[in-house]
Amino acid sequence: MPQQILRGAVNNKGGITLDPRTKIFVAFILGVVLLTGGYNGGMAWARPTLTAIPLVLLLSVRKWGAAVGYSLAFLASYFAMTYLMPITSGPLNFLVMIVFGIFLQFLPCIMMFYFVFSTTTVSEFMAAMERMHLTDKITIPMSVMFRFFPTVNEEFGDINDAMRMRGISFGKGNLGAMIEYRLVPMMVCSVRIGEDLAAAALTRGLGAPVKRTNVCSVGFHIQDLIILAVCAACLVAFGEWYVSVHF
Amino acid sequence: MCTSDQHKTVVSLKDVTFAYAESENGASIKNIDLDIAEGECVLLCGMSGCGKTTVTRLINGLIPHFYEGTLSGSVHVGDLDIPHIELYETAGVVGSVFQNPRSQFFTVDVTSEIAFGCENIGLPKETVLDRVDKAARELNVQKLLGRDLFELSGGEKQKVACASVSALEPKVLVLDEPSSNLDMTAIADLSDQIARWKSQGKTVVVDEHRLFYLKGLVDRVIYLRDGRIVDEMTWEELESFSDNERAALGLRVPDLTMLSRQIEQKYAQSGDRIHRNRNLRLDTSISAKGQVSLLGLSFSRDGGATKILDLQSLTLPRGKATAIIGPNGAGKTTFARCLCGIQRGARGVMWIDGTSYRRRARLKKCFQVMQDVNHQLFTESVEDEVLLSMDEPDEQQADAILDSLGLLELKDLHPLSLSGGQKQRCAIASALAARREVIIFDEPTSGLDRAHMQRVAENIQQLEEQGKTVLIITHDPEFILACCSYVAHIEGGSLAESYALDHEGYRRMLAFFMVKEKRAEINAMDQKHSPLSRPL
Repeated sequence: MPQQILRGAVNNKGGITLDPRTKIFVAFILGVVLLTGGYNGGMAWARPTLTAIPLVLLLSVRKWGAAVGYSLAFLASYFAMTYLMPITSGPLNFLVMIVFGIFLQFLPCIMMFYFVFSTTTVSEFMAAMERMHLTDKITIPMSVMFRFFPTVNEEFGDINDAMRMRGISFGKGNLGAMIEYRLVPMMVCSVRIGEDLAAAALTRGLGAPVKRTNVCSVGFHIQDLIILAVCAACLVAFGEWYVSVHF
Repeated sequence: MCTSDQHKTVVSLKDVTFAYAESENGASIKNIDLDIAEGECVLLCGMSGCGKTTVTRLINGLIPHFYEGTLSGSVHVGDLDIPHIELYETAGVVGSVFQNPRSQFFTVDVTSEIAFGCENIGLPKETVLDRVDKAARELNVQKLLGRDLFELSGGEKQKVACASVSALEPKVLVLDEPSSNLDMTAIADLSDQIARWKSQGKTVVVDEHRLFYLKGLVDRVIYLRDGRIVDEMTWEELESFSDNERAALGLRVPDLTMLSRQIEQKYAQSGDRIHRNRNLRLDTSISAKGQVSLLGLSFSRDGGATKILDLQSLTLPRGKATAIIGPNGAGKTTFARCLCGIQRGARGVMWIDGTSYRRRARLKKCFQVMQDVNHQLFTESVEDEVLLSMDEPDEQQADAILDSLGLLELKDLHPLSLSGGQKQRCAIASALAARREVIIFDEPTSGLDRAHMQRVAENIQQLEEQGKTVLIITHDPEFILACCSYVAHIEGGSLAESYALDHEGYRRMLAFFMVKEKRAEINAMDQKHSPLSRPL
């Protein structure tokens, strides 16, 4: 499962396609409203609506496993907050509040990011950024991230295996060693891969001062408009709440 | 065969001297003069560090634009003055394929990857789509279009890399050890692709250690030593060297059929391993002495739906080296992971001398030297690396182990500052310190020249002498000939066959690796029969 996270979901055949700009905008709104907003007024409906968006999107691209996992994790945290909070007290109460409260706030955002990264290819992303008239100086490093995360993930898996084989997964009880043993080989490998990657890309003309073509067509469709309208409504509710609290 | 006089020169290096700013990064070269004619295929060969990779980097412009250093002399491709123009201007003219398929793709899906170069130089969208289509057909990767690159095998990735370069339609192709991480089928495909490029009139420059797949393609061989061109010859001259002469030059066999001659010669010497292996017969009972038995080693994904590995029973000679062969994707890596116990959910038991080892117990009994050995060196000095593996750190014993592997003088160095071969030996040292009995190597000779390959073979013989059972996943028949006694051939996740490397066994093993030769035979037969079978 972790192998699939942050990897361009080129295998998504069928399902609804959204413009990458829509996805990024939705992820942004989700983050701002859910992490900074309260629970009263318009937020009473905006919050559940935004929470439901990642679920709807995951279902729309037939990521059943992720959708079910998200629902279960969310419901579990929700019930824990509702039923455990009143019956616990002292530090335990505090712990329940911290753990599940944070989880409830962050989970929709995490799932949204998973959705963005797992359904956007590098080409789509670059095409969308270009439409927004961002320069290559910003879009190229950002697009490298799509490539970099799965690579780091692969490397990390190999290093973990090597540590288990040596019986030093827990650094022989030393927390510092546990981290160091993972980070040092990881950095060495990442630097080397990064160098190879850059050399291969440069020999294929990356960075040429011409207008880069993109074979990928992106554009807004009806589904983008619907989802943007929902987000806009939530944003208005958030604005209302914000004004009522701060002024 | 030297065609540079009659034809137009495409690549021209004049009195080129280059030294890397970071000297460890590669070998410097001195006073290189090299003219390559249009349509010519040139092989650069020589021992590791002779400067052949540096020459390829000069042609594709990575020197001096990416790898910095001091450069003198001139490098021209056509009319382009490579060191004085920008890299992207070279991109449409010189295409490059590199050693590691894992780290040369920029996007995450096949279609974008093939289109990548064309998009960068700003070709019109329709042209890009046409070129992608054409390149995909040429490399026979249409089925891969749209797929996730991370899910492809190394061979498939290398084909996509070739397609991406082909789509740019360069005049000159530079291949830097392109076969290092490929299996025999993928190497045969690569060989076919080079032939196709040649037939399109493209100029091909390839630097390689493994030579056999270039037979029939190379027009001229350039031999480098210590950064200088010391010899220039034809392929026929290269083939005419005796084994000893090749050993002195540090070259691998240029034709796999030469290995079968070597087998006959070795067989004639009664002291040789081939002769001894005559009597290597294994019992099937698990309690038999002198063998390692694996029973029911299996692993499946998706809750049992996808069987990745399913070995009913495999018996290996204890204290000897066994080669694990088979095509990429056959389950060799999964086999190694299951055997060492790092694959969670793996089933099966290993028996040694009547004692059984389940997965967790195998974690302490087996050790794998990974293909990328950087992943398994953790500490700040070579000696710490060895001490870390011991239950009771004992410096004297650590020094003895390091001494046996020729690492004693390096014991205070940082493991990651060592050369590739030294790192590998450092990993072996940590396995010895942990008293592991079964040691598994994952492609230990990929990208190695002959001398380094021989050195690895010596290390493995040394392990045998200490009574260790060694398993080696490899695509290198020359290496198997140098140190293995037994073969387990895995295909489609199960054991196809296993046999002792006696006279007959060596020939069987070699036949498995001769994919290119088999293909050539089939093609020849097709050509012979086609006029008859085709109605006029």
